[in-house]
Amino acid sequence: MDKEARLLRALGAPAAPKRDARFVLAVMRDAETARFKKASVLAVLRGAGFAAAAAALAVPFLGSTSAGGAALQSGAVGAGALLTLVLALRVMTGRAAAVRR
Amino acid sequence: MTETHDEARLIAAARRGESRAFAALVDAHQQAVRGFLRRFTGHWADADDIAQEAFVTAWRKLDTFEGRSSFRSWVCGIGFRIARDARRSHDRASVRDTDWLVEIDDAQDGAPIEDRMALAAAMATLPDEQRAAVALCLGEGFSHSEAAAILKLPLGTVKSHVTRGRERLLKALEANDG
Repeated sequence: MDKEARLLRALGAPAAPKRDARFVLAVMRDAETARFKKASVLAVLRGAGFAAAAAALAVPFLGSTSAGGAALQSGAVGAGALLTLVLALRVMTGRAAAVRR
Repeated sequence: MTETHDEARLIAAARRGESRAFAALVDAHQQAVRGFLRRFTGHWADADDIAQEAFVTAWRKLDTFEGRSSFRSWVCGIGFRIARDARRSHDRASVRDTDWLVEIDDAQDGAPIEDRMALAAAMATLPDEQRAAVALCLGEGFSHSEAAAILKLPLGTVKSHVTRGRERLLKALEANDG
């Protein structure tokens, strides 16, 4: 057999792997996981942003209308942190539900 | 409907977030990408892991795909860079697995296992870019221009890599006869 033909035959296209549905499924599973992670991080950041903005808006208002301004300010900041935590838990719960599905 | 048109339609759908369209693209191109990476890495399991990573990266970065090359070339390029970086950091070349060569049915392509083993060993000795050029052009049938785009190398360099790589592989086959 011609050396060149022998080389191409040994190295050539027939040596490629067969189509494998499991490979496609594995890729899609990883792709969905990556997409979910990204969406989760964005949701948490968005929630934290809203909470921080709400607290920042509430603090001056509460501080000027109340005698116990300092206590209310810390309360508002605490509420913002709590809201962020709730949002994070919601996202994590959603993820667990998605994994169960 | 032409294959190119069909692919463009699938890419557009995948960009809109339709995972079924992307799954169809993975199904259509997995053989070329996995085949190239098997030849490049010389390691079956690693190659499939890298191919998987390459497709996931492609899914994440689909918005950046400009369509100047084919989707298959684009994913091969992503896979090549992942494999090259992985080799640099972990020296994967130290452990090579040739089991997949034995799995291929001799009767299907008529290439004796001895030839395939000799070529796999010779491939392992080629420099990274040369091995990638040989795997793409001689193994997967990409044109020199496509390989140049995938490897981000000048066309002349790719041609030279393929010529020199072919010579070394032919010598390995001759040595195997003796």
